[in-house]
Amino acid sequence: MAELMSSSEFRVALEQAFSGTMAKDASFSRAWATGKLHKQHFVHWATNHYHYIGPFGDYLGLMYANTPDHARDAKDFLLQNMYEEELSDDRHTDLLIRFAEACGGTRAYVQDRNNAMPFAKGMQGWMYYVSGRENFVVSSAALIVGLESQVPSIYRTQYPTLINKYGFSEWEAEFFDLHITSDEIHGERGYQIVLKYADTPELQQRCLHYVREAADMRFAYTKALYETYVQPDLGPWVEEDEREPALVG
Amino acid sequence: MPRIYFKTADQYVEFAEGEEVNVLRMAIRDGIDVPWQCASGNCGTDRLVVEEGAENLDPPRRRERARLGELVDEDYRLACQTYTRGDVTFSWDPDQVGLDDEPGDGGGSRTGWAGTG
Ligand code: FES
Repeated sequence: MAELMSSSEFRVALEQAFSGTMAKDASFSRAWATGKLHKQHFVHWATNHYHYIGPFGDYLGLMYANTPDHARDAKDFLLQNMYEEELSDDRHTDLLIRFAEACGGTRAYVQDRNNAMPFAKGMQGWMYYVSGRENFVVSSAALIVGLESQVPSIYRTQYPTLINKYGFSEWEAEFFDLHITSDEIHGERGYQIVLKYADTPELQQRCLHYVREAADMRFAYTKALYETYVQPDLGPWVEEDEREPALVG
Repeated sequence: MPRIYFKTADQYVEFAEGEEVNVLRMAIRDGIDVPWQCASGNCGTDRLVVEEGAENLDPPRRRERARLGELVDEDYRLACQTYTRGDVTFSWDPDQVGLDDEPGDGGGSRTGWAGTG
């Protein structure tokens, strides 16, 4: 039977729960960060990402409804997060479509659900399930700690490559710049909620379970992006230092 | 270990050698009262003066440059937009509000939000 962990022990356990399967290390992310992708790959990425995170306001709304009144700070955080996704600045999905258009895609193509992989629809369904059915602490652990807090580590590697290697302007790549920093803060506030309200060993263990599951889901989804869209063009992913040396002469 | 010294609050946060950390995230994590509102580079509530260690900070990107304008050249940075990889010292006006807000007009900050209690 698990014991109740202290706040600092629980934080370390949460961080370790996704450290082995971070989406920044999946083949699609690695190909992106090392400058191997073509613009049509980014259109596919943006389309799938749209169907995965497009309903983020819905997920947060479900979590909001599941959060009891006594956890007012958690409710306020969810509301603020929703507002920041949708209204406080450019709508985040519009920034995503701006990027897709810079790669030659169209709004209609990105928004058409038929253009998303089954993995993206599975990711969306999993997020609706967790946000709608689970205790708010557990869904905060899954969606905010497990998924949203990973975002800065992914985009901090990918953003400079977009500007310096792929030649996008800062305006075209604003979706990434915005999320590098806003998700740092959302992620941290998610940690604060989970550390505060996961106050039984059972809740702590359930949070850890869902953080692992979230990381596995995102890793598998990111890997599937490579296998579906990039592998037919570039072959199976091999890290640079594992490639055969080029034949000379 | 490198440290961020939040001089106005007389508190510091340490982080592991080799890491690059977001300044506002570290302040929130340790409950330090840095004023902030949007976390997106829009409001300017979290502008800090870099007193020491500017060489350890990443350069400002588009949103931060646009929000701060000429304050960028006066050693200001936005905590939410800034990453550091080494020692740095910041100060600020504890009563400051957003760059588009007047003091007392409701543009108050979120300091102290979500203490883990
Ligand atoms: S908190 Fe608004 S600009 Fe940083």
